[in-house]
Amino acid sequence: MATAIAIGESEWEVAVPEKPLKDKTYFENLKAKVIDTNLCSRCLTCASVCPGGITVVDNIVDFPDYETKCLDCGACVRVCPRFVYEPKSGLGDYIEFIAGRSKRFAGQDGAMVTELLVSAIEMGMIDRGLFAGRDEKWATEMFHVREPEQLAITTLGGTKYTFADVLPALKEAVMFTKRGVGIVGTPCIVSGVRKLQQEYPIFRERVKLVVGLFCTENFHYDDISAYLQNKGVDFSKLIKTDITMGKFVATMTDSEVKFKVKALEEILPSGCNVCTDFTAVESDASVGSVGSAAGFSTVAVREENAKKVIDFIKEKGYADFGEADTSQLDFLIGHKKKREENIKGD
Amino acid sequence: MKSMKKVVGPEYNLSEKIKTNVYAVGVAMQESVYPHTMTVFYPRERKKMPDNYRGFILFDPDKCISCFNCSFVCPANAIRMKEAPNKRYYPTVDYGRCIFCHFCIDSCSGGALKATKIHDVAYKDMDEMFTPTEEMIELPEIIREDKKYVEYEIEEDDLHLKRTKGEDYLFVEVPPPIQIPMVSQCIDRANCIGCRVCEEMCESGAISSSVENGMLRMKIDTDKCTGCGLCVKECSMQILMLKKLERK
Ligand SMILES: Cc1cc2nc3c(=O)[nH]c(=O)nc-3n(C[C@H](O)[C@H](O)[C@H](O)COP(=O)(O)OP(=O)(O)OC[C@H]3O[C@@H](n4cnc5c(N)ncnc54)[C@H](O)[C@@H]3O)c2cc1C
Ligand code: SF4
Ligand code: SF4
Ligand code: SF4
Ligand code: SF4
Ligand code: SF4
Repeated sequence: MATAIAIGESEWEVAVPEKPLKDKTYFENLKAKVIDTNLCSRCLTCASVCPGGITVVDNIVDFPDYETKCLDCGACVRVCPRFVYEPKSGLGDYIEFIAGRSKRFAGQDGAMVTELLVSAIEMGMIDRGLFAGRDEKWATEMFHVREPEQLAITTLGGTKYTFADVLPALKEAVMFTKRGVGIVGTPCIVSGVRKLQQEYPIFRERVKLVVGLFCTENFHYDDISAYLQNKGVDFSKLIKTDITMGKFVATMTDSEVKFKVKALEEILPSGCNVCTDFTAVESDASVGSVGSAAGFSTVAVREENAKKVIDFIKEKGYADFGEADTSQLDFLIGHKKKREENIKGD
Repeated sequence: MKSMKKVVGPEYNLSEKIKTNVYAVGVAMQESVYPHTMTVFYPRERKKMPDNYRGFILFDPDKCISCFNCSFVCPANAIRMKEAPNKRYYPTVDYGRCIFCHFCIDSCSGGALKATKIHDVAYKDMDEMFTPTEEMIELPEIIREDKKYVEYEIEEDDLHLKRTKGEDYLFVEVPPPIQIPMVSQCIDRANCIGCRVCEEMCESGAISSSVENGMLRMKIDTDKCTGCGLCVKECSMQILMLKKLERK
C-alpha cells in the first residue's frame, strides 16, 4: 500500500546511553553510581523525564517497584548531571557583575530574580516563569507565573532553605508554552536544565531564561523544619529565613531566632557535601546576596539573553543598580571548592 | 384609521340546509360506530417515529477512537469523557443536560454513537440521568406493551391515523460514516526518550523496537495501525500524532 507519509515519521532512531552495569536496568545504574554513592544532589532532573516514576522517598531519590516499573529507557542517566560528574566552581564567565534592587517587587534581597523573570515575560521572551513558592508550613510548592499580577502571592519571592521540585514542573511547562519558559533554581538545578537542553531539543528550544541562585547548601524539608522547631521557630509566624554572615536567621512576626550555620552541618545533605558550584556558573544570570549592599541582589549577567533583560529593566527604570564586589564571593567560592575532597573517585 | 370588515355568516337556502344537516348526522353516526380518534393509546400502541428521530444514544466502544469530538461539539456540555479501565476515554451522557440535537452522533468519527427512536426512559432523580458508558452500550430496559404502531396519514385533506399490528423497530440503521484512515506518526523524533511506552500501549502490535549498534530503532507499521490513538495519548514526550493515511 503506497502512502503519502513523509519517510522517517514511521521509523526513527534514539541513541542508547552507555550502561556501566550491563545486566542491570538504567535505574539500578543510576542508583549504584549516583544515589548510593551519595553524589545525588536531589535536583530531580532524572524525575523530570522519567516516564516510570522516579520520586523522593524519605529524602532519597528512589523508584519504588523499579523492578517492574522501570522501562529501562536510559533517559535518567542521559540527563543526570552527576552520572558523569564534572564539578564546576569559581565565578564562571560573565558579561557584568552588578548589584540591583527592584523598585516593583519585594524579595529575599533586591528581588532581582523576580524582576528578571517578570521583565522577561513583559518583553515577550517567555510566557511563563517557574517560581518556587511555599505553603504555610514552609514546604515548597511550584507555581507557573504567567501574569505579573500573580506576584501578589507574597510567598513566591524569598528564599526557602528546602529543596523545591523545580525540574519535575519544567516538563509540563515546556509542553504548554508558546513563547518560552523562564526558570530559577540552585546551581544543581541549573546544571540539570543544561543537561536536559543538551539531550532534548524541546528543552533547548523552549527554556529561554535560566536564572541561578548562589548556593552553599540546601536542606531536606523534614530535617530543617524539625531543627528549626527545636530552636523555637513557630512556622505560623515565620516570615523570612536567611543565611547571612555565617548565621541562619529565622525572622518571625514578633521575634527572631539566630544561630551559626555551622550547626546545620549535621543535617547537610550528602549531595550538597560534594557540590562545588557556588555561583551557578552554567546559568544565564546568577543572583545572590553576597557581593552587594543590604537590600540589593548581586547579579552575574553571563549570557546575551540575560543581558537583554537587564537592559530592558534599565530602560524601563524598574530597578536601581549599583556596584558589586566580587571579592566578597571569594570566601564562599573557596569554601565550596574544598568540597571537591569529599567526592570519592570511582 | 383602519377600516373594519364586517363578518357575515354564510347564507344557505333550504335545500342546502337539509344537505349539511344530513351530512352532520351521517358523520356523527359513522363516528359512533368507527371513531376517527387522534389519540395514540400509548403504551399499548406507539407512534412510529421517523428514521431521523433523535432519541436515546447508543455507544459501541469497539468503534470509538477516543477522539473527543462528541464532547467538544455538544452544545449542552452533556458529554464527559471518562477513562475506562483499558486507559481509553469514552463518552458518558448526562440526560439532564442533553438537548437531543445528536450533534455528537453526527460528529463521531468512528461511527461509535448511534441514534435510537427511544424517547421514553424514566429516571427517579437528576443523578440517575447521568448515564455512564456501560449503560450506553445496551438498550435501556423498556417494558413494551405495544401491539400496534401508529402513523399519521393525509387523505383527501384530512388527517387520519393508520394503525398497523406489530412493534416498531426502535433502532435506526444508518450506513457507517466514511472514515478517513489515520495512523500514528512520530512528528518530533529528536525528543523521543526511547521509553517504548507507545509500543507497550499498542494493542495492534503496530509499534516495534529493536536495538542495533547502540541505537534504538522505533518503527510504526502503518498497515497494522488502526489509528486508535492510544500511543498518541500515552507518549511520554507527546511527539506522536495521528495523521491521515492517503493512498497515492
Ligand atoms: C537554598 C539556597 C541557598 C542559598 N545560599 C546563598 C548563599 O549562601 N549566599 C548567597 O549570597 N545567596 C544564597 N542564596 C540566594 C539568596 O538567598 C537569594 O535567593 C538571592 O539573592 C535572590 O534574591 P532576590 O531577592 O533577588 O530573589 P527573589 O526575587 O526573592 O526570588 C527568589 C526566587 O528564588 C526561588 N527559590 C527560593 N527558594 C528556592 C529553592 N529552595 N529552590 C529553588 N528556587 C528557590 C523562588 O522561585 C524565588 O522566586 C541561596 C538561595 C537558596 C534557595
Ligand atoms: S524508566 Fe527510564 S528514566 Fe525512569 S528509571 Fe527507568 S530507565 Fe530511568
Ligand atoms: S543528581 Fe539529580 S538527576 Fe542525578 S540521580 Fe540525583 S536527583 Fe536524579
Ligand atoms: S549546595 Fe546548592 S547547588 Fe549544590 S547540591 Fe546543594 S542545593 Fe544543589
Ligand atoms: S494509533 Fe493505536 S494502533 Fe496505531 S500505533 Fe498507536 S496504539 Fe497502535
Ligand atoms: S512513547 Fe513517545 S517518547 Fe516513548 S518511545 Fe514512544 S515515541 Fe518515544
